[in-house]
Amino acid sequence: MIGFAALAVLAGVLVGLSRQINGRLALSTSAMESSFWNHLIGLIFITLAAMAFGGLFAGEPAASPWWAYLGGPVGVIFIAAGSWLIARIGAAQTAMLIIAGQMISGVVLDIILGAPGNPLARSIGVALILAGMWVTRPTRNRD
Amino acid sequence: MTHAADAPRFYHFAAAFGAGGLLSLMVLFNGTLAAYGSLFFASWVPHLTGSVAALALLLFLRPKRAATVRPPLWTYLGGVSGALTVMLTSATMNTALALSGTIALGLAGQVLFSLFADIRGLFGLPQKMPGTRDYLSLALITAGSLIIIFFGGAA
Repeated sequence: MIGFAALAVLAGVLVGLSRQINGRLALSTSAMESSFWNHLIGLIFITLAAMAFGGLFAGEPAASPWWAYLGGPVGVIFIAAGSWLIARIGAAQTAMLIIAGQMISGVVLDIILGAPGNPLARSIGVALILAGMWVTRPTRNRD
Repeated sequence: MTHAADAPRFYHFAAAFGAGGLLSLMVLFNGTLAAYGSLFFASWVPHLTGSVAALALLLFLRPKRAATVRPPLWTYLGGVSGALTVMLTSATMNTALALSGTIALGLAGQVLFSLFADIRGLFGLPQKMPGTRDYLSLALITAGSLIIIFFGGAA
């Protein structure tokens, strides 16, 4: 259990590490080029891993709805945005604002898709996140 | 790097928040793929279509290179770290941690690493000392996220 918890924390560290490295590549090239290399190198890595472990086409992948295949292009914009932002507002700000956007849009998506949820907990959570964003809101001549 | 990162401007703010929204869509799309195919497939497909889409955008937009000097080779390896993330989260999601525990602990790892990365200016990015406002904002956003993750789901 402790081992799996450590792996879950490590996964988060790897998200930050990836953004940091991609951000450095974008400093020398461009945000879009860093997003391209992120996807191509990741593709090669996953292909090799899938060849080693097998089962890439297991299940019924052909049965999935067409829109499920749109994650790639969306990810291109997401990685490019992260690479562009991290050199400008720092890793912590980038991470916190992305998490804020993910959480709030996640709640909105859940409501749209009709996923069951606790309205009170959702409201308190969203309110706290908005308060956190308010604290670092862009203002001129601050500090 | 002498120039410290600035406080976010409104367009930075909007871009980062919007990127978080894109992430929610990615989780929905890729998660749906994983429901029909293997976990490898759910990560392999977006990387494949993403590579094609990024190449098309590069050819279309032709962004200027920021520097004429080639960056160090290790800067091209961000994708390995990203691909490993998918495999790790897929592994822990099916343990007692479940999805909520996986997300919450991953969030903690990401926040702590990004603070450390800012303080040290890791991997050649600008150094940035977090201030009181940053820590307060971080505490509020983390608390709100944890409440949504652990209490927001079940009715």
